[in-house]
Amino acid sequence: MIEVRGAKKWIQNGARRVDILKGISLTIPAGQFVAIVGASGSGKSTLLGLLAGLDTPSEGEIGIDGVPIHNLVESQLAAVRGRKIGFVFQSYQLIQTLTALENVLLPYELNMEGNGLSKARQLLTEVGLQDRMDHYPVQLSGGEQQRVALARAFVIDPPIVMADEPTGNLDSTNGLLVLELLLKRNREAGTTLVLVTHDPEVASHADRKIVLKDGLIAEDTLPFRAAEALVPSEERHG
Amino acid sequence: MAKRALSWRRAADIGWRDLKSAPGKFAFVVLSVAVGVAALVGVRGLSNSFRRTLLGEARSLMAGDLSARIFHPPSDEEQNKIAGVMNQDAGMRSTWVTETISMASVPQSQTPLLVSLKAVDPKQYPFYGTVDLQPSMSLQQALAGDSAVVADEFLIRLNAHVGDTLRLGGLNFHIAAVLEQEPDRITSGAGLGPRVMISQEALKQTGLVAPGSRISERLLVKLPENPPHGLTADAETADARAKLESALPDAQVMDFREGNPALSRGLDNATSILSLICLVAMVLGAIGVAMAMHAHLEQRMDMLAILKALGAGSSDLLRIFLLQTMGLGLAGALLGVAAGVGVMAALPSAFGNLLPVRAALVIPWQSGLAGLGTGLLTTLLFCLPPLLDVRGVRPVLVLRRLVEQGPGGIRGFFEWWMRRWPQLLLSVGLLIPLIAIAWTLSDSAAVGVRFGLAFAAALIVLLILAAVTLLVLRLLLNSVRLRIPSSLRHGLANLYRPGNQSAPVLAALGTGVMLILTVYLIQADILRDLRETASPKLPNVFFADIHPDQLAGIKNFFAHQPGLQDALDTIPVVMGRFVSVNGRPVAQLRGQHFPLRMLESAELSWADAPLAGDKVTAGAWWKDGNATEIAVGEGVAKRLHLSPGSSMELETGGVTRMLKVGAIYRADGQHLGSRVEFVVPSGLASDQPSTWYGGVRIDPNQVGAMERGLFAAYPTVTVINVADVLVRIESVVDQITFVVRLLAGFSILAGLMILASSIASTRFRRMREAVVLKTLGATRMRIVRTFSVEFSVLGLLAGAVGVVFANILTHVLLSRLDVAFRIEWGATLLALFGTAVLATATGWLASYRILGLRPLEVLREE
Repeated sequence: MIEVRGAKKWIQNGARRVDILKGISLTIPAGQFVAIVGASGSGKSTLLGLLAGLDTPSEGEIGIDGVPIHNLVESQLAAVRGRKIGFVFQSYQLIQTLTALENVLLPYELNMEGNGLSKARQLLTEVGLQDRMDHYPVQLSGGEQQRVALARAFVIDPPIVMADEPTGNLDSTNGLLVLELLLKRNREAGTTLVLVTHDPEVASHADRKIVLKDGLIAEDTLPFRAAEALVPSEERHG
Repeated sequence: MAKRALSWRRAADIGWRDLKSAPGKFAFVVLSVAVGVAALVGVRGLSNSFRRTLLGEARSLMAGDLSARIFHPPSDEEQNKIAGVMNQDAGMRSTWVTETISMASVPQSQTPLLVSLKAVDPKQYPFYGTVDLQPSMSLQQALAGDSAVVADEFLIRLNAHVGDTLRLGGLNFHIAAVLEQEPDRITSGAGLGPRVMISQEALKQTGLVAPGSRISERLLVKLPENPPHGLTADAETADARAKLESALPDAQVMDFREGNPALSRGLDNATSILSLICLVAMVLGAIGVAMAMHAHLEQRMDMLAILKALGAGSSDLLRIFLLQTMGLGLAGALLGVAAGVGVMAALPSAFGNLLPVRAALVIPWQSGLAGLGTGLLTTLLFCLPPLLDVRGVRPVLVLRRLVEQGPGGIRGFFEWWMRRWPQLLLSVGLLIPLIAIAWTLSDSAAVGVRFGLAFAAALIVLLILAAVTLLVLRLLLNSVRLRIPSSLRHGLANLYRPGNQSAPVLAALGTGVMLILTVYLIQADILRDLRETASPKLPNVFFADIHPDQLAGIKNFFAHQPGLQDALDTIPVVMGRFVSVNGRPVAQLRGQHFPLRMLESAELSWADAPLAGDKVTAGAWWKDGNATEIAVGEGVAKRLHLSPGSSMELETGGVTRMLKVGAIYRADGQHLGSRVEFVVPSGLASDQPSTWYGGVRIDPNQVGAMERGLFAAYPTVTVINVADVLVRIESVVDQITFVVRLLAGFSILAGLMILASSIASTRFRRMREAVVLKTLGATRMRIVRTFSVEFSVLGLLAGAVGVVFANILTHVLLSRLDVAFRIEWGATLLALFGTAVLATATGWLASYRILGLRPLEVLREE
């Protein structure tokens, strides 16, 4: 579960303070698929960065599974990111000098004990890249690169996956393929999925939609099956 | 939550792949290290060979490493003590040289001649240098049995020839050869009359040495080739000197450096400048590497952010880049060692006879290993601060490229530094290894400490100055912003782009200019000083025993002498007797390492201004010719613990006066002033019976004819010909000049290359800007103008900061070396504008491809 209480983020450029998030509070239960949407500059990516421990709030609290992460030191934060969160970015963010297989293997080497090679191979096979494992990112298409990024995000079996416009740079076919892979992970492994997107079509697949406007939550809806999922089971059945 | 660290192997793999992705860029890093190390190996190796040669020359002027002079035959006790000193070290050797005056005659001349007799053990003497004889033969051959060698002057005066018989004391000698050159002629006593040299064995048989004889005994000591117990050559000399002084407390002990002060000083200064060149090469290389690594990390910001987002800690990232840096450092150091050895090997064959260093150039294993170690260590030390910046890389960069500058003003400044406390701590800690390296390179703890601290202080001041200069320029720019052409405005504004490195680049470039110009200025000033010390006007023939009524005639003789290169210089000499020194009777002054006889029968001169070649080192020369003061030579003053204000009671011409030491002076060993250790005001001695010393500079080929002419007119005047020795000294000075210029040039060239690479390392940032400008419709010319403004202003500012500091640093260093400082306007202005041109040229050399880039190539990578 991810909990945010009164998170604010501003940046100080000389004497000028730019407020990006002006006070966000929300709770994301485990296994939920949350789409964060909003106009450019609304603070979507900043919120994602805070949730993922990529950045620290200027004010407020953020906790993952009951552990506050807003005041962790750098090394502890790195461990949280490495063990609990898988990332997918719009521009793939693969290490250009490593092969597809090595890119997938990297989080395992950084965070887990033992040999993750067979798991990395299995994941690349699952995303349809069994023949491209030894290719470098530059030798792969955009869709293939994003699938490598998905495999990389899944390799440590993180309870949470954060995705920043994962389909933004892809054509519709590849975009759909990537989304399906993310959803499959969310449904089958119960992974919490937090996804930032501009695309209403992508957002429509989410359990919950959070709309940001000028650094504040303008709308927080549970439009689809998630509303049902969030109702306590005894209420649902009783 | 415990976190697993990235394995060293994987870290090395990632680092290696990263290297392979842009080999051209890393060439700068490797080149920077290589150039620094090559300069280090080349300069150190060459300067070691050169120093060995020079030290050999300096030793040959004394014929040994050390000499101890006493004025009596050594007693058995003294001989035993000396034997004890020699027995302490098997490699140490010693030999006695006896000098006295005696009457000599040849059968064909009725008149005996006063000669300056020297007796040596030809099996040992000389330890350094050579004795040149005509006809050519070894000294051992020439002095076998009852043979003697004599100066040409002796043959001229007595109209004798090689093969004739010479009578000395009660013994006849066979004149075996003409003594053309004895290595220690300039350091042995002036003597009276022409030189006659015989063996110690023969001297004993002549019966000339008896208790009470006026003789001078010099013990020459040769130290082992390799200093024992890990001592340096200087420490070994000092150690042996202390032992000799303890064994012979009354002796005047000198080491080879005192034999010819001008030469020793030249050597010291040359050694200082060579050490400086080594250090500068090292620091320039390190700056180049640090700049290149900083630029590299800046370009790898995305990769660092991705790795951090994936859970990598700072230690993982440090591991990757540390391995990468060390790999580059190792490659650069190996390349540098190879290049340095190559330069050393190539120089003699490239220059042939032009290279005056005669010492064999040996493969400098020691220099090579030192270069390798220094290269790696400096790479590591100078790269750690920029590498530690990975700690501050924010993983959120993967999401947004917003540069948060933090609060401005003083608070922002302090916060910036607080965030970088490890770098700050490391930078302070860096001083210790830097000092250690400087210590090793210069073989001097004092130089190491001074250099390390001065470098750190200069860098801090330069950084502050660079920041202030940029701030002032920015204020100026803001006030005229919209009134200046847009490319100029844009170029200047580029200096202040967000996240810019203008101040560090300016400081690094300024430091480079400062170091390079300092090397140039110091070598120019030291060489000028050296040339003045060993100027072509120095006398090369000296005259002793000139009677006052001969003076005018001799001056007239030289006024008409062919081949004369400078007028006759003369000084008067009167004899005096010191009664007490600092209130203590002279007889109680035993054990001061100063022969009492030189006080009891002292040669004094009079002058109301320092004599030619003398330099006052403490106190001041009197202005009143009747002052009751005395000036004392530096060496004597040290031994007798005299300083300005000390008292000396002197008797001359039956009058005893209490004199105050007014001035302490240092003689250069090559002018007439070096012949006396005490000078009094004219009023105290000019009415005393005196003799005169003279000195002229004459074409060495004309010396023989002059000697004959002078002997015919003034047969009692003694001629001491040091022309050959002087030629040797001048050739040594030429060597110093040549090698210092050569190595300084090498170091300067290396520095320029490194500076160029520092500027080139900012290419990546400009690449992005260029394509954005192109996208907005800028022409190539417009981009050229904009960037040229940026490069040239940066160069000009760095040049200004560098030349100001170079002149200050040179002034300070030269005053420590006791060399006069003059502003070299030509070099200073050249450095100022040269830096601007260099910055612009190298900026473009490294950026030429930018103009041809298609915007999409770069923007797609964003």
